[in-house]
Parts: sequence; structure tokens; C-alpha cells
Amino acid sequence: MTSRKLKNGVMGFLVAASAVLLIAVLVVIVWHIFILGVKYLNWDFFTKTPTPMGESGGGVFNAIVGTFLITLMAAAIGTPFGMFAGIYVAEHRGQRFAGVVRLCADALQGVPSIVIGIFGYTFLVVRFRSYSALSASVALAFMFVPTTTRVTEEVLNLVPSGLKEAAYALGARRSSVVWNVSIKTAAAGITSGLLTSMARIAGETAPLLFTAFGSRYVEWNMLRPMSALPLQIFVNASSPYPALQQQAWSAAFVLVLLILLLQYGAKHLIARVLRVKA
Amino acid sequence: MAAQPSPSDRREAARERAFTAASLVAAVALVATIALFLVQLLITSRTSRAAFGLPFLWHSEWNPVTEKFGALPMIVGTLVTGFGALLISTPFALGIAIFLADYAGRKVAEPIKYLIGLLGGLPSVIFGLWGLFVLVPIVGKFEVWFGKLVGSEALVASGTTGVGLLAAILLLAIMILPFSASLILESLLVVPTELKEGALALGATKWDMIQNVELPYVRKSTVGALVLSLGRALGETMAVTMVIGNGMKMPTTLFDPANTLASAIANQFLEATSPVYIGSLIQLALILFVIAIIINVLARVILRRGIQQ
Repeated sequence: MTSRKLKNGVMGFLVAASAVLLIAVLVVIVWHIFILGVKYLNWDFFTKTPTPMGESGGGVFNAIVGTFLITLMAAAIGTPFGMFAGIYVAEHRGQRFAGVVRLCADALQGVPSIVIGIFGYTFLVVRFRSYSALSASVALAFMFVPTTTRVTEEVLNLVPSGLKEAAYALGARRSSVVWNVSIKTAAAGITSGLLTSMARIAGETAPLLFTAFGSRYVEWNMLRPMSALPLQIFVNASSPYPALQQQAWSAAFVLVLLILLLQYGAKHLIARVLRVKA
Repeated sequence: MAAQPSPSDRREAARERAFTAASLVAAVALVATIALFLVQLLITSRTSRAAFGLPFLWHSEWNPVTEKFGALPMIVGTLVTGFGALLISTPFALGIAIFLADYAGRKVAEPIKYLIGLLGGLPSVIFGLWGLFVLVPIVGKFEVWFGKLVGSEALVASGTTGVGLLAAILLLAIMILPFSASLILESLLVVPTELKEGALALGATKWDMIQNVELPYVRKSTVGALVLSLGRALGETMAVTMVIGNGMKMPTTLFDPANTLASAIANQFLEATSPVYIGSLIQLALILFVIAIIINVLARVILRRGIQQ
């Protein structure tokens, strides 16, 4: 066997081994979340609020409510900005300013979540003199907008130009071509992108630390401090009490399920788009 | 005879204008956001600059009690964890990407790609939870073993916790792996098949082809992918915060508790009460923001060149 062939075999083994290692690490992590998460799960977990530090029992109903409210509000604030900016970039493809907008969206995607949290604190919490769920939603919206912009642009670029040209040939205006032809054709793809962005922000912790702050009570008022699952995981994991640490695993399990559900929804929609196109 | 615009025409024209305005406003808002962040962080961190000036960047004392703040321990912590994680994860990321591009058939590649997506989508705080309760005890045991090996009492004693730079580096390496692997895979998949088949037809082994045709072809975009991954690692907050140990001193070994720019903010911001302390933490955020913007723009430029080539 020549050295070339030997090298070929060795490297083939190494690349396969790195893939196996990745799978192993992933299985270990998911295994822990699943086993420990389910083990400590019970009905109280979903229906009750946290007990005072150190006492056993209680649940995270307040955090589940908070995650839904904060995430939905962030999506509601971010969607119009993200979608219109995406439409702008797609409609002005090749122009200098559209390129700048796209670059800014990419750069904003790379801004560390803790910086967004600090910004939310100095910009909103200080101004309104109170921690609030709304300031958390605005902070998360800053993460939601750039991803939505990029997804909207990408999906709009997939719309066949023949379709748009046909509409223009019939005398349609640009707004009506975008709304009635492009957006309608790309609707499933855009919705899928929105779900993916929601899955991303639902698990964010750092932007909530100094904005939503957390609360032990079930809170429906967006102008008051509120808990959320990622916050609860962080607080419980950092506490010295085993009962709270166990609850962190269950909260992690529920959060992962929620994220997987959103991602599954997104994937399902994309699959439908691709089927229609094919 | 010129036609008068009908009411419905006028309505449509108004809608057209509103639509154009809305998309322009959103686009401008997105660009303005970057400026808004910069200005806001600059304004709210001015107490720190007034007290320490530029030496803030290289002073190595961070002491909330005496209110002397220098960012060097956090800058060092950020660079060590970021580059350490990149160093460990890059060979594996390359290996996984090459495996998926050239070795695995569809039936093997698709589930692995799905798993990579799954790992990449897990929230930072969940990696932190896993790191704190699973990885950190293992690192602690290793630290005790290593301490006995080199005869260091201090390491054996501190090994009971396991939190510190090493735990943060390992956890970060796992976290950026799916990200860099999928970015590298994307660039590998655009290598023209004719080039690869040409090399194989000339008698190259598979690895000859990968080494001499494929990897040179994707060199630039791989560098771009790694720079983007580094950007991720430098700004990663929750997971690092939970395993790095909130050490205020300049770390001297890899086992020391330390802080990154991000973890110092997450760990200390709610405790900070004095204006100088708060301003100094916001100053850390400003440094992190500037680094993140530079790295991301740089990576995009490299990636775009790599694609054009």
C-alpha cells in the first residue's frame, strides 16, 4: 500500500470519527435534558408558581406565561419592521443602499445578546423607571428584525420574475405586485422564517436579565416585571437548592420542546413551499 | 382629451406612496439601529471614561470595592476563551463538513445535518445548565488529577469547583461546532463537481482530491466562516457566565475562575449601584459591541470575496 493510499484511509477514518463525536456529544446533551427533565416533571410544575427559596414543590407557570407573552409581543413589534426592510432590500437588489441595509442586518445579527440587554436597560428601563416585560420584548425585537429581514429578502428573491413581470405587464403598480404577487407566493416561506426567528428569541436569556427581570407571580401586565423560562432556568441553576436545580432541568426540557415545535412548524411550511415549486 | 384620475386611481397612488414610504422607513430604521446602539452605549458609559479614560483598556485591576476598574482581565478572558474554543472546534468542524460533503450518502448526511441544526438551535442557557452540572464536575476531576500529576496543591484544592476558563473553552467549543461546521459545509457544496471528478479521473485518491482541489477552492470562505464563529464565541453570554466562575483577577492558568466581557456584565450588572461601576460595565458592552460589528462586517466581506472568486 502506498503512502498516499494509507493517508487516504487514515483521513477518511478521522473525518468519520469527528462526525461520530459530534453525534455522541449531542446525544449526551439531549439525553440529560430529556431524562432529568422528564424525571422532575409533574402537574404542579405547569400549574403552580415558584415557592420561596429552599422550599420544595411549586412550578413555573409564571415563566411559561411570560415566555409566551414576551415572545409574541417581540414578534408583533419586529415583524412589520423586519418584513418591510426585507421587501426594501429585495426590491432594490443591486443598489448601494440596499447593500448597506443587508450588511447592517447581518451585523445586527452578530451583536451579542448581552449588549442588546444592556441597551434595553439603558434605553427603556431607565427611561420608564421600571423593569417591564415590554422592554424585554423590544430588546428581543432587535434580534427578531434582522433575521426576519434576511429571510423575507431570501424568500422574495425566490419568487419567479416571470410572475412579477406578468403582473407589471397587466398595469399593476409596484405595491400591488409586491403584496398580491410576491408576498402571496412567498407567504408560507415568510411565515416559516417568522417561526424560526421566534424559536431563536424564545430561548434568549441575556436580553431579559435587566429588562423583564423576573417575577415570582403570574403576571399578565406587560408593563410590569415578568418571568420567562430561560430566566427561570438561569436563576434556578445558579441557586444552591437541589429542588430548584431539578426544576431547571424540567424547565429546560419544556423550553426545548417549545423550540422544537416552532422549528418543526417552520420546516413543515418550507417543505410545502418546495413541493409547490417543484 | 386627458383622462381625469378616478378616485380609485388616487387611492391606489396613495397606497403606493404609503408602501414605498413604509419599506424605506423600515430600511432606514435598521441602519439607524446600529448608530442608536453606539450613541446610547457611548452616552451611558461616560462616567467610566471620565474616571479612567483610555487606560481602562489595559488596566488589570477590577475592584468594585475600591471602585477601580480596568477591562484587561475581561479582554484577556474573552480572547482566551474565544480563540481556545475556535482552536479546539475547528479541526472537528472541518472533519464533519468534509465527511458530510464527500463521504456520507444522502441517507446518512440528512439526519446528521438535522442533528447539527438541532444542536445549533439549543438556547445558550441550556448549554450553561448542562455545562454547570455535567461538564464542570468532569473538568473539576481532571483538574484534581492534573494537580496531583504536577504536584500542585492549589490545583487539587480548587479542583473541587471545576468552574473556570477551561470549562468555558470546552463548552464554547461544543457550542460553535454546529455553526462553523454548517458554514464550511455550505462552501464545500459549491465546489464544481467537474473539478473534483477531474482530479479523481487523474488517479488522485479521495483525500488527494480533498487536499489539493477542494480545500484550496474554499480557503477564503472557510476563513470567513471561522471568523464568524469566533465572533459568536466572543459574544456568547449565558453559557459562559454559568461556568466561568466570575473571577475578578487576571487569570494565570487555564483552571482559574475568570470573566469574559459578556459574563462580567451578566454576573455583576444587577449588583452594580454606583454610577462609575455601572458606567464601567456598560463600557465593557461598548467594547464588545464594537468588536462584534468589526468581526461580522469583516467576515461578510471575506465570505463574499470567497464566493465571487
